[in-house]
Amino acid sequence: MTRHALAVLTLLATVVPATGADVTTVFPAPGGERQVLRLYTATDLEAFEPLIHGFQKIAPEVTIRYTEGVTNTVFDKARKDCAAGRGESDLVITSSVDHLVVLANEGCALAHRSPETAAAPGWTRWRDEVFGFTLEPAVIVYNRALVPADEVPHTRADLISLMREKPVRYSGRIGSYDIGLSGIGYLFAAFDGRNALIYGRLIEGFGRMKLVTRCCTSDLIHEIGEGKIAIGYNLLGSYAYAARRKGAPIGIVVPRDYVLALSRGAMIPAQAPNPAAARRFLDFLFSPAGQTIIREEAFFFDFSGRLPEGVEGPALPVEAGIVRPIVIGPSLLPVQDRAKRARFLEEWRRSIEPASESAQ
Amino acid sequence: MNRHVPSLFGRLIGLIALVLAGGLVVLGWASWIYARIAADEAYDRLLVGAALQIAESVATEPGRITVDPPISAFETLAMAVSDRVFYRVADPAGDTLTGQADLGTARRGGRPRREPSIVDDNYRGFPVRIATLGRYVTGPDVAGWVEVTVAQTIDARLDLARDLTLKAMLLVLGISGVAMLAVVVAVRQGLRPLGRVEAVLAARDPKDLSPLEIETPREVRPLIGAINHFLRRLSERIGGMERFVADAAHQIRTPLTALSAQVELLSSEQRAERRRAQIARVRERTDQLGRLTNQLLSHAMVIHRREVVPLEPVDLVAITRAALAETVPLSLDREVRIGFESTRATMSILGDRVSIREAISNLIHNAIRHGAPGHLAASLTEEAGGFLIRIEDDGPGIPPARWSEVVLPFVRGAENETQADGSGLGLAIAADVAVAHGGRLGFARSAEGRFGVELWFKRLPERDEGGTE
Repeated sequence: MTRHALAVLTLLATVVPATGADVTTVFPAPGGERQVLRLYTATDLEAFEPLIHGFQKIAPEVTIRYTEGVTNTVFDKARKDCAAGRGESDLVITSSVDHLVVLANEGCALAHRSPETAAAPGWTRWRDEVFGFTLEPAVIVYNRALVPADEVPHTRADLISLMREKPVRYSGRIGSYDIGLSGIGYLFAAFDGRNALIYGRLIEGFGRMKLVTRCCTSDLIHEIGEGKIAIGYNLLGSYAYAARRKGAPIGIVVPRDYVLALSRGAMIPAQAPNPAAARRFLDFLFSPAGQTIIREEAFFFDFSGRLPEGVEGPALPVEAGIVRPIVIGPSLLPVQDRAKRARFLEEWRRSIEPASESAQ
Repeated sequence: MNRHVPSLFGRLIGLIALVLAGGLVVLGWASWIYARIAADEAYDRLLVGAALQIAESVATEPGRITVDPPISAFETLAMAVSDRVFYRVADPAGDTLTGQADLGTARRGGRPRREPSIVDDNYRGFPVRIATLGRYVTGPDVAGWVEVTVAQTIDARLDLARDLTLKAMLLVLGISGVAMLAVVVAVRQGLRPLGRVEAVLAARDPKDLSPLEIETPREVRPLIGAINHFLRRLSERIGGMERFVADAAHQIRTPLTALSAQVELLSSEQRAERRRAQIARVRERTDQLGRLTNQLLSHAMVIHRREVVPLEPVDLVAITRAALAETVPLSLDREVRIGFESTRATMSILGDRVSIREAISNLIHNAIRHGAPGHLAASLTEEAGGFLIRIEDDGPGIPPARWSEVVLPFVRGAENETQADGSGLGLAIAADVAVAHGGRLGFARSAEGRFGVELWFKRLPERDEGGTE
């Protein structure tokens, strides 16, 4: 995820490296700075930038400081800030919504209620403190040159069969998240794990195929585009589509058996220095203008469930039952349970390790 | 009346509204308590269900106890959509296996138990409901009670309780509204007879003093009765006054006309002797007119006092003696023997001294003027639980046939209308006084043939008997 910071460097005024992997990018207020909005996110700036410019069109007096980290560092810092009563961010945005639910559960969030937020589906909102503002499916991404059309898996069962029938061809060419490193990968795996039978066969197959694991969606997509990996499983559809739009030779499949759908979350920390600006930004995200940017420039999927052009698979109406939304609420609490996580990771490693390349 | 009716209505409605409002408060409080209990019962089931699911996920492996809190347990708790959830799983030594290490337990002392304990508490400043239950696990090298505690904030419970209370209160409010409406209608209906009485009275001709005749409910009858009683008395008084004024006008006009004629004659009379005789006649007429006026006034006074003067204990013996002494002229044109006797030294009754003396004076006066050639006696005796005053003379008296009519005003006792010095009011005054005191006036002729007029008064009960015993 950090690689984008370099690309951004040349474009923007200031880049302030923060602790560890965190990188801060400043978007000065186009109409003269009168206030500052501090975003702390685990989202690629490339995807988020159109939203920042869109917001500054309606709020030209707001300077935006965009600090990007990985999901776990975002979570740890927000939790430490909350425990210390420190207010260093106005809005925390991450794809690991389970982190936000844990924070809100501990009283680390400010509530916000407005007609804009109320317009989003109920399952994307908890206590009016955690807000999911996108609908991003977990998709199968493949390299169009490496995977013949008749071998493109459209269900998990297809993928399991493929791994069984073409072990030589796909060994070491199937990739997914290292769920010990990737918050979103762990979240998707945890929800896949509820479907014990399929999940068991799937990771068994991954083990045999010497699954390539990476920390981040962008790394995986990059490698699929380059042909190092043929098929990526459970990747964030939004990032994959962004890469495809930029010309990566990849195909995107929305599974037909069931689709895990994540709603990227935002939360105002309890000690936010400028909660008013954060509320304004939230309302913008849910406004028609914001949702249009999300659909057309940022994440390419939205609550409507319409698939962007070129994505294979069924449409995504949540009501149809194929989509299994990761409901934002207390049911995400055990995902972050210490004992559960340890057990789950142990089982996952045991299945993957024997043949794993153990990247990173 | 106009001011009274709305205030009575307002007071009734106000009182009933107050009672209903009080009931509303009590019911509101009661339904809140009930709703809280109901909400706790409903959500406690979810809480215990979640704790059980977590307890089920506890397992033993060589050397350790593991727990894997299932997502479904938290989905159960997420039925309370907006509530925070905290949990803790403790191993037999009391160390935290997973969850919030600082979360307390709902168990009050003793060993962990399989049965859930549930309490209200506070965690990190949030009011929470806590359920704790135990599960006994045995493994190759560990055994003991694992305790699962699940806490949930109470927002959903309060919401449900508020919702239940609100619905109950809406129902109660609705019923109260209907009751209030019914009360308003009933009170209006109930007070309608009063309005009818008012309307009838208002529409009445001021001269119409006849009794009211309206159909009214039993409760309003006494009011109608009281109004009718009052109307009757008013009508009687006005009637009496009208009669009196008419009579008095008539009585005074006649002697005035005569007097005027005589004065006319006098002014044209030249002869001194005839003039003297005529002056004497004028004087006589003037005296007569004066007496008539006096008596009219005294009659009016008696009637007036009857209405307004409070009665007090008076002594009939003293009054009679004083009246006798005052009324009998020092010089009479004839020799008359005056007698006075009384069987007691004092005779107390409840009465008006002035009226009684006027009555007795009138009787004595009549006796001297119309009868009594040589004898006049006043005697007081006890009779029939009262006292009897008898004024007796040896004159011709009044024949019994006329006894009933001579007590009416302006009816003269003597047959001869030309006997001009009687006003015809003396007996009427005495009779009025007697009636006003609850007594009576009567006539009698004694064994010796003497004519007597009697006044009987009821004696004063306590004072008199207290005196004799």
